[in-house]
Amino acid sequence: MTSNAQAAVAVDFWTDEKRRKVWDDIVPGAPRKTIPYVLTKEAIQAYCRSVGDLHPLYMDEDYAKASPYGGLIAPPSIHILLMFACTPMDDWMRSPGTVNAGQSWSYNVPARPGDTIRMDARALDKFIKKDRLFVIHDNVFFNQNDDVICSGRGWTIRPM
Amino acid sequence: MSFDTIAIGHTVTGTPFSPTRETIREFCDASLDYNPLHWDDDYMKGHFGKTQFGGIIMHGMTNFGLITRMLTDWLYPLGGVHRRLETRWKAPVKPGDTIVPHATVTAKKETGKSRWAVLAVEVKNQHGVVVAQGEAMAEFPH
Repeated sequence: MTSNAQAAVAVDFWTDEKRRKVWDDIVPGAPRKTIPYVLTKEAIQAYCRSVGDLHPLYMDEDYAKASPYGGLIAPPSIHILLMFACTPMDDWMRSPGTVNAGQSWSYNVPARPGDTIRMDARALDKFIKKDRLFVIHDNVFFNQNDDVICSGRGWTIRPM
Repeated sequence: MSFDTIAIGHTVTGTPFSPTRETIREFCDASLDYNPLHWDDDYMKGHFGKTQFGGIIMHGMTNFGLITRMLTDWLYPLGGVHRRLETRWKAPVKPGDTIVPHATVTAKKETGKSRWAVLAVEVKNQHGVVVAQGEAMAEFPH
């Protein structure tokens, strides 16, 4: 990695660090501020390539159009991108050192290129276990028609 | 194969994946998750709560993407729909490891309006160590 690239990444993650809530500040039940995100074909396909998932439903417009889906879709796991795409820079989910302990997701309708995605998100619970600080967060993604795309919970260990 | 002929105990195996520093960086760019756990060697010399990783690690959610790919590759030709995935991360994955996802059908259930299969899922590394473990659910609409 070049020093320039490393610097760009560092800016991304440490910018606004002092404005982020720590475990003590997080109020379970309080909504998180989120930002709408327009999902593009290019973003979907970059995600697909990063996990080696090149199914033609995601990559081939003609194939997808002739399928029961009627057009290109995103893979169910696109919420991995949507989570950070809809999360402001000063949100605690971006705190460096946040460790992902597990997640569960339910899927309804697929996300598609051109969708404007909205995330409703909050911490659901926080607790101390084995000397670690945990937060459970829940998140629901909607498309521009207010259809639920997917909903999920995550368990993260907060940095101390 | 169809819902009716899927046997309890049926196994599905995904494609092996060998993360490198480059693939991990590609996942950073694709997911917008630039947590320094995944790119900053100096940062990773430190401790995280009670954990010390000793070097950069792959995003846990890459496991999630690989399991999803295995499930959808199996389901799309069967007319099945991937409906749920729950996973816990059991061990970190590092550059140079090779991981493979597996799934086993553990239950089938017909409900009032549809048909469902439950699968146990796991991802193992080249040493046979389980790095991710969980459960999935697929729907087979009538």
